[in-house]
Formats: sequence, C-alpha cells, structure tokens
Amino acid sequence: MRQTLTKATLMIPVLVYTVFSAGPYVWTAMMSLRTTDEIYKSHYGLPVPPHFWKFVTAWTEFGYATYFKNSAIVTVTAVAIITMVGAMAGYGFARRRFAFPWREPLFLMLFLSIMFPPQIMILSLFQILIKYGLFNTLAGLILVYVATELPVTIYLLRAFFAQIPQELEEAARIDGCTDWSMFWRVMFPIARPAVATTMILNFIYFWNEFLYAVVFITKQEIRTLPLAIQFLVSDQYFDIGMLATGLMIATLPVLVMYLFLSEWFVKGMTAGAVKG
Amino acid sequence: MRIGPRETSPKVTATVGDVRAAAPRARRPWGAIGLFLGPALFFYFAFIIYPVLVTFYNSVHTLRMDLGMTYEFVGLQHFREILSEDDIFWRAARNAMTWAVAAPIVDIPLALVLAFILHGRVPFARFFRTVWFTPLLMSYPVVGVIWLWVYNYDWGMANLVLRAVGLGGYAQAWLASPTTALPALILVTTWMFAGFNMVVMLAAIHAIPMEYLEAARVDGAGPWHRLFHIVVPLLRPTMVNLAILDFIGKMKQFALVWVMTRGGPMWGTETVATYVIKRAFEWKTLDLGYPSAIAVLWFVIIFGLSYGLTRFLQRREALEF
Repeated sequence: MRQTLTKATLMIPVLVYTVFSAGPYVWTAMMSLRTTDEIYKSHYGLPVPPHFWKFVTAWTEFGYATYFKNSAIVTVTAVAIITMVGAMAGYGFARRRFAFPWREPLFLMLFLSIMFPPQIMILSLFQILIKYGLFNTLAGLILVYVATELPVTIYLLRAFFAQIPQELEEAARIDGCTDWSMFWRVMFPIARPAVATTMILNFIYFWNEFLYAVVFITKQEIRTLPLAIQFLVSDQYFDIGMLATGLMIATLPVLVMYLFLSEWFVKGMTAGAVKG
Repeated sequence: MRIGPRETSPKVTATVGDVRAAAPRARRPWGAIGLFLGPALFFYFAFIIYPVLVTFYNSVHTLRMDLGMTYEFVGLQHFREILSEDDIFWRAARNAMTWAVAAPIVDIPLALVLAFILHGRVPFARFFRTVWFTPLLMSYPVVGVIWLWVYNYDWGMANLVLRAVGLGGYAQAWLASPTTALPALILVTTWMFAGFNMVVMLAAIHAIPMEYLEAARVDGAGPWHRLFHIVVPLLRPTMVNLAILDFIGKMKQFALVWVMTRGGPMWGTETVATYVIKRAFEWKTLDLGYPSAIAVLWFVIIFGLSYGLTRFLQRREALEF
C-alpha cells in the first residue's frame, strides 16, 4: 500500500516534467496540421480534420524541397567523408605500429581543439573560403563541417581502435594483409559499432548546424533547413501554420530515426558530449 | 577536461600493444602513416589550425573588407579598446557568464532529481527517458521558433499556464524586457539539455552497486537520505564533468540568441558569440580585425576558466574522498 502511494507521488513530477518537455513540440505538431486561420481561432485546438496537404504545399510552394535537398546533400556527403577520414586517422593514432615521435603531442592538440569556440576560426575561414572560391557553396560548407567534427570523431574512434588486441593484427599480417587491406577488411568491420555511434552524432550535428551556415551561405537557393527556418520566421511571421509545418519537415527525419534507433542516438549524443 | 586527458594518455595504447612491438622493428611505415593520417591532418591544419593562427594575426590588425582586405598593423589597440571602452562587450561577456553559471546550477540538480526518480522503478521509465531526451535532437532555429511561440504574450504556453493556475498577473511579454529575456532563454537551454544530463546521470546511478542502496534502505534511510548521502557523493565526478561541459557550451551560445532575440532587447541577451558576428558582418565598421580580437580574448578566457574550473572542482573532490 505504502509502496503504491510512493510510486504515485513519484509519478507527479515525472508527468509534470514530461508535459514541459514534450508539450511545446506536440503543440507545434498539431499546428502543423491546421491552417493558420484555424490556429488564430483557437491556438490549442486539435487537428480535426488534419490538413496533410500542408506538407505538400510547404514542400512545393515554400521552397522546403530545395532546403531539404541542400541539407541532405551536405549531411550525407559530410558524414561519408568524415567517417572515412576520421576512421583512418583514429586507426593511425591508435595502433602502435604507426607510432612516430610527435604523434602523442599532435593527438593532444587535436583533442584540445574539440572545445575551441567556433568564433576563433569563423572569421578567418570566411576569408579563406572567399579566397578559394568556396564561399557561398555547399562544398565549402561541407569541408568546414568535416574539419570541425574531425577532432571529436578521431578521439572517439581512436579509443575504440586502441582496444583491438594486437594478436588479431598479427594474425591478419601472417595471412598476408597489407596495412591498407588490414584496415578495410579487418579493423573497420570490427569497429562498426563505434563508427555507427560517430555517424549518428555527426549526422545530427550536420543536419542541425546553424552558425557556419549563417556566415558562409548568403544565397537563398543553397540554404540548408536551419538557415531557411531562420529566414522564414521573419518572412512568414504571421503564417504560423505553415511555419509549423516547416518545423516538422526539418525535424522529422531525425526524430523518426530516433524512434527506431533511440538507444543508438542516446549513445551517440552522449559520446559526443566531450565537445561541451 | 577530465573526460579526456585520462583516456588520452599514451598509456592506454601502450597497455594493448604487445611487448615485442616495443622492440626495434623494421623502419617506420611512413607510407601507411601518411595514408591514414594525411587526409585528417590536411583538414585539421587547413580548416582549424591555420584559421586559428590567422585570427590571432588579424586581431592585431585592422582589416577593411571594403578596401579589398587591406591589412594595417595596430598592435594591441583593439584589445585596449575592447577592455576599456566597449560597453557592449562587457555586457555580452556578463550575459554569457550569467548563462554559463546559471545553466549548470539549474540543469544539473534538475537532471539529478529526474534520474533518481526514474531509477526508482517508475513504470514506463524507458518511455520517459526517450521523450525527455528528444529536445536535444532539434536544431536551434527550430527550438527558437517553437519557444518564440511559447513566450507569445497573447496565446503562448507560458502565459497560458500562468493564467490557468491563477498567476495571470505575472503573465508578460517574456522576451520584450531586458530583465526577463535572458532568464527566458536560459530556460530554453534547460529544456534542451536537462534530458541529456539526466541520461548520463541515470547511467552513472545504474553503475552504483545495488548493495549500497539496498543496505541503506534496510537501515531505514528514506529516498532523500539515500539521494544526498549515497547517490550524490558517488556521482560527484559525473556531475562535475557535466557541469563543466554545460559551462563551456553556454559560453559559446550563439544560435538560440540569433534566432530568438538577436541580442535584444537593449543588449539584454547579447552574448560574445553573437557580438563577434554582428561586429564582423552587420555593423558598418567593415573591419574583421576588431571582432577577431574579441574572439581571441574570449577563446583565452574560455580555456582559462575551463582549466581553472576543472582544477578547482577536482581538487575539492580529492579532498572529500
């Protein structure tokens, strides 16, 4: 009896916090299925009937198709590059075979740069990108994204590669593996769980990144979703309904994946937290 | 950073390698080293180290964008100006510091209590954990827009709740006043990060041997007693880490401010990060040198404070055990 009572009292703060935590997003989700007129009549009404056509309108008439495509190009390319480059470097930093005199200080420097504030690079990156014709291009944004997430990616993968037993490496070598084939045929497949963690972490970071995008992209047709939303807030300030639909388009890819892979997402984001 | 250096010390790799590997071998495989590390080092030096150095270089120059980026050496003049004359910088620094100090003070205890409750075998604990973690997966612009609506004076959720519980007198335009705007933004980051901190602490609580908590329960210790006398002391290292991460993250805060208030009203939510971008691209000064100097200064302050904080908090920890 007393136990059930304690449980019940415990549920009160849990439910209150859940309302606080989920409320704003659920409210937005409902508005995304209602027209702005309906919303102005009652801001907290249920989406009855749900206007799913709003997603089509946002996609075709308000440019979300373009912004979504830009975000997808940047995210997928950057994740692909950083995964390969980061895994190879993590391996190179981890294994004894590749030791050279300045390797550990180099790695320490790489580690410390995880917490660099972006402002220390962003203004000169602006200059550099202009100089090499990469300003206002998705390619420039991709290069910057890869570079800024490399330190944390290498740090996480190095820790994993360092744990792989030396015996395995030697067995593979006896079987005639070169360094290159050993990495891709033996080590990389073993590291798949760690690689998946960094992929998820980087995917979320690239999909949501805002600061570099706002400084390096000024052309409307190559805006990524976070950037587009910032502009749409001022352009369609009063069209709340359509903006809410846009927010759903911007968040659903990540949230749907989170629904199926929540443990992986939690793991990825927690691992990436060294960034601060 | 505590999470890092301990794991990054060279010892970690050394423990795995076999003894024979330590003996002199054939020449170093420079080809393979270059192949594996080369691409990463290219990215790292071209897009991180080189820009950082350029920023330091720019900070002692005036760099006019309208005159084709002509450099003029000015020595430490920018730094003198920032520290002695620039009221907006000081305001921005104070806001960022307030944020960086207030956020952990709110986030960490809240997350601790939530984690402790979930650990107490609440039904659907996994479901709640999943929901609470979700805000972290949204971009700042999305979060910013949603919370602009939450803080809307006429129909926002914040005032709706206040009116519903009879505190309608406190309902106000939260982002329109310099005194309430910053706390309002801090609450938004709490909304984003409390779930994340909770997850980390929940994992740490699960790592506490069950016998400790069971023994205390048998001895008649109530939940609060168990929380403060067993869980909190054992979780101290985790909490210190999370607090430092929270602190550093908030010192860099940019996006939420940019989307929600642009630093206003009356510089009430200006942070150093937003001020740097404004000085570089929005003000008509067109000088990249001055904002670079602010960035350098803030970079040094962040590194100094996080180092100091790490040392200070960890020393206290050492004394207590």
